[in-house]
Amino acid sequence: MTQGRRPAPGRPRSTSRAPRKRSLRGASLLRLRVGFVLIAMVVSVFGARLFQLQGIDAQAYAAKAEANQATGLVTHTLPATRGSIVDRTGMPLAESVDGKMITADPTMTHDHAQEIAKVLAGRLDIDYFETLDKLRQTDTQFRYIARRVPAAQANDVMAELEARGLEGIATDPDPVRDYPAHDVAANLLGFLGTDGKPLAGFERLFNAMLDGADGSATYETGAGNRIPLGDNSVIPPQAGEDLMLTIDRDVQWYTQRVLRQAVQASGGESGAAVVMDSRTGEVLALADHPTFDANKPLVSPESDLGSRALYDVYEPGSVQKVLTAASLIDAGKVTPETEIVVPPELPRSDRVIHDYWDHGRLRLTLTGVIAKSSNIGTVLAADEFSPKELHSYLAGFGLGKKSGVGIPGEAAGLLPPWRDWSQLRQDTISFGQGVSVNALQMATAVNTIANGGVLIEPSLVKGSATTKKGKVVGSATTDARRVISEQAAQMTTEMMEAVTDPEEGTAPAAAIEGYRVAGKTGTAQRVGEDCGCYDGTFTVSFAGFAPADDPRFLVYVVVQDPKNGGGGGSIGGPAFHKIMTYLLQKYAVPPTGSAPPDTPLEW
Amino acid sequence: MSTLMTQARNRVPRFAEAAVERARLTVVPRRATRAPKVPFVALVSLLLVGGVVGLLLFNTSMQQASFVATELEATAATLNAKEQALQMQLDTLRDPQKVASRARKLGMVPAASPAFIRLSDGKILGNPTVADPADAMRIAPLPTQKPKNLRPDPVILELPPVKTAKKKADTTPADAGNGPAEGTKKQHTSAASGE
Repeated sequence: MTQGRRPAPGRPRSTSRAPRKRSLRGASLLRLRVGFVLIAMVVSVFGARLFQLQGIDAQAYAAKAEANQATGLVTHTLPATRGSIVDRTGMPLAESVDGKMITADPTMTHDHAQEIAKVLAGRLDIDYFETLDKLRQTDTQFRYIARRVPAAQANDVMAELEARGLEGIATDPDPVRDYPAHDVAANLLGFLGTDGKPLAGFERLFNAMLDGADGSATYETGAGNRIPLGDNSVIPPQAGEDLMLTIDRDVQWYTQRVLRQAVQASGGESGAAVVMDSRTGEVLALADHPTFDANKPLVSPESDLGSRALYDVYEPGSVQKVLTAASLIDAGKVTPETEIVVPPELPRSDRVIHDYWDHGRLRLTLTGVIAKSSNIGTVLAADEFSPKELHSYLAGFGLGKKSGVGIPGEAAGLLPPWRDWSQLRQDTISFGQGVSVNALQMATAVNTIANGGVLIEPSLVKGSATTKKGKVVGSATTDARRVISEQAAQMTTEMMEAVTDPEEGTAPAAAIEGYRVAGKTGTAQRVGEDCGCYDGTFTVSFAGFAPADDPRFLVYVVVQDPKNGGGGGSIGGPAFHKIMTYLLQKYAVPPTGSAPPDTPLEW
Repeated sequence: MSTLMTQARNRVPRFAEAAVERARLTVVPRRATRAPKVPFVALVSLLLVGGVVGLLLFNTSMQQASFVATELEATAATLNAKEQALQMQLDTLRDPQKVASRARKLGMVPAASPAFIRLSDGKILGNPTVADPADAMRIAPLPTQKPKNLRPDPVILELPPVKTAKKKADTTPADAGNGPAEGTKKQHTSAASGE
């Protein structure tokens, strides 16, 4: 090698080549080896560490990760907001609010129970001593302190506890369903169970629509914060749709209060009232009494949790006389002036038909028969009909069939098939005994007269909505059909105006100063629940609409089993008057200013 | 070995030495075109350092954003809860029952008959009447009645007429009548409230 550095003269370059190459190769080899060893050392350190982490300590780390919930992959549900139920003006009847449940770990709260209970009882609507007991239990680590607390309130409580350094109280999501107007329309809305599942009413019927789909979020966190660029996936929740009813909250409230007063003042067992927009069939109020507070359904008896106006049937009584009379006029058999001789009593088959008041031989026009609500007169007029004709008219008015409002469970009522009618049967049916209806059905039938002879199916849902059985219901899908001619409807209306006549009619209390009001009272014998026969109790009712020459609203009030001896005119009439007055005022319907007809009642 | 070969070659007689010498091929030395190293190194290190620092800053800012996001989410949740609480409060105030009972406290009652003024000609439609307290209706529910077992039937004691008071009873019949009359009165009231 030394020779390489001392090349012979003349060939210096050629000789120097080989030795240099060799030295280069030697150096790189050495470097390679050193490098390899270094890399091997580093890699083996890695390998050892890997083995330590994965093989030896794996369990410990997994446990540690699990213990620290703020770190690692987190999945939590994003609860969907349940749709609201609003009235026709958009005012909420039922809405969902973020809520929290407040829970305690008594093992941690035991020592500071008094202080904690003081804070909790001061800020929440709970009992101090009960809470104290719960906080002092020794056999459990979990107790509910309060459920469905609005989130803001729960946050305040937690903030105060934290500020005072008190531990052992925790919160969890617990959505609240709030019914801001309490018992207003509760009979229609229904309620949710403690687990958030709908148990009754529209909450259950339209659950598929109101209930959204929960979403979920999955992401990695470190110390409570989301790790950027970490695994994450979000399925956004689908909020439920809102449901708009045709109900007007204010009208519903007023109707419920008037109805309550009417039922309580008369000592009645229960009552129902229906307020309908005559032209569209939209139900502005459907009230029941007794009813319940939708926020606290469990404190009311189970029998009050539904809607008697929809689910219960009764015999309508004299209100039906207007249907019979309208049918007779439409068929051309009678006019409002038709003269009828009304005897004191009328023997038919083996029975004798009476009027509710004693009278001698009366010479009444058909208008007089309606105004005074004479059974005998109606029976005599209805003699013009064969059973088949009367049946087909009454079926046309919707009796014996569901009203078409689309609420499952609605009672269909009963209109016996005409082939089974005896003479007596036809007689009683003509004045409303021996048939049964629900309140909404009867309101719809009478509204046919208010709406110029065209029956409009009632609706409770504004627009349209799909029930859980997939049926589309609502004001957008209602059908209308002509039952009687417009002229017959107008004649019947004029007859009904005589009912509110201050001297001659049966319901002077229903009259409204300055307005033309058409109506009809009803006082029916009632079938008792125990014996299944007429037990001497009554159903009193009043159906009417105003203004008579251009009807806007129909109001129907029914009170079951009043005990003060009142009839449709004295119990239903004042209630009708109050509700109709309110409606005319609220919707700004001025009097039409036309003069009422002057049809003679007697001849 | 190479020394031997050189010696052997040296022994070979030399002819046309100059030509041979001229004809010998040599390798042209490679031109050492040394590009200046500094800019390249600078560029690479700049890229490296820049990348690392950039990544670091990016990561930090992401982390920062994550903190801010968490904080904002919490604030949003709180504000949302507050909004809902206020909304609930508003709903409570708007509750028709509440409005009506406050109106009632102000001495208001529903109007007895609706009447309107037509603005176009100032004509009054309907018959305006003055509302009076009789138009008021009860808006609050009836007070809850005590359950039957807390409302015992009145106990009626029938006392035998006191003989010694015979004289007295004759003189003051009203006093003697007081006892039983009160008893029946009580019975009546309790029967009425029982309905």
